[in-house]
Amino acid sequence: MLKVINGGIETLVEDWPGRLGFLGKGMAPSGAFDNVALGFANLLVGNRAGEAAFEITGGFFEAEFGLNTAIAVTGTPKAPLLNGKEIPMWESLEVQKGDIIKFSHIGEFGFRWYLAVAGGIDVNPYLGSKSTCIFGSYGGYEGRKLANGDVVRLLKPTRSLRGVVGRKIKKGLIPRYTREWTLRAIPGPNTSPDYVTEEGMNYLFSHSFKVQHTSNRSAYRLEALPDSFFARPDGGVGGSHPSNIIDHAYAMRGALNICGNTPVLLIADGPTLGGYMCALSVINADLWKVGQGTPNRDFIKFQMATQEEAAQARIDQKKLLTENTLI
Amino acid sequence: METSVTAIMPGLTARVVVNEGDKVSKGQEVAVINCMKTEIKVLSEHEGVVKKILVKEWDELQVGDPMVVLDV
Repeated sequence: MLKVINGGIETLVEDWPGRLGFLGKGMAPSGAFDNVALGFANLLVGNRAGEAAFEITGGFFEAEFGLNTAIAVTGTPKAPLLNGKEIPMWESLEVQKGDIIKFSHIGEFGFRWYLAVAGGIDVNPYLGSKSTCIFGSYGGYEGRKLANGDVVRLLKPTRSLRGVVGRKIKKGLIPRYTREWTLRAIPGPNTSPDYVTEEGMNYLFSHSFKVQHTSNRSAYRLEALPDSFFARPDGGVGGSHPSNIIDHAYAMRGALNICGNTPVLLIADGPTLGGYMCALSVINADLWKVGQGTPNRDFIKFQMATQEEAAQARIDQKKLLTENTLI
Repeated sequence: METSVTAIMPGLTARVVVNEGDKVSKGQEVAVINCMKTEIKVLSEHEGVVKKILVKEWDELQVGDPMVVLDV
């Protein structure tokens, strides 16, 4: 088990790909915000890439291990302390019963860590996933973020610890973190000329948008678009603002919802339908970058991609998240 | 000796909950940061007296920005 000493700002149990198959019931998929960092952390400790781990957002999580096991920490480059001593990230190490891990504030780049434990986390899957949906209060650990005093059951390692301790990611394969994240995206469904001006689409694919402080697991809100973005004077029967349209299903995850003048990336716990236009969809292989975008600090740029590029990037990423990337 | 209570997260200042001249204890809430549509408490790591308040509501913050100066 893991005894939580300090739940930190927002620490959640998340797996990947989350809770799929329920968008039609209005249930977001949830799941790890950065599936690449989650995947690497799991592979390092001998788990399957999508096993549940702790997603630590913002930091200040502190916990005591109740068993001897192996762990790996990936994500924002600010190494946590184990019994007061910095530990290496992006590699697996052994921990003993009674050891205490402590995270401080986020690093110079990125916003989230993933702490994987050999064997995984022993929470009951809900509708096929161990992921927490904090806005729905279900899944994960009691449907909420971890709090001081919580005791989380851990599964026993399925492999010999000797076989996994000391494993690292091959050189050059650790994702590059930045403060300006380029997201490949496919335009549509609501674009130029019907909904957006040509000038507006050019702006969308060239401007660097600051991530707003209101961004969270439901939506990543970006700085406002100029009025010249819109091709229509109003939303017609959809509403008075030109971003309004008749209610439709959103392409979760990764749709860029235009809510008034605010572009909003709909992510893990976001809404599954609504009455705002969507101007592009971020490709699946780049969604992890959104999870490392730091509110009120980082910027997001969109780079136009095709469906073929999106499909290939997804295949390439899947290949990356295998034990072949470890040494 | 002076020390600062600093921002633990990027975000906006929601409020400062102490006044200049107040005594604060270690672990006491000093200020609140607004980020991710939630409120994040900033606690004092030291016991001391509030010497100066450096931020006001809606001020932008980055990790490590001083918010309150303490005389410890």
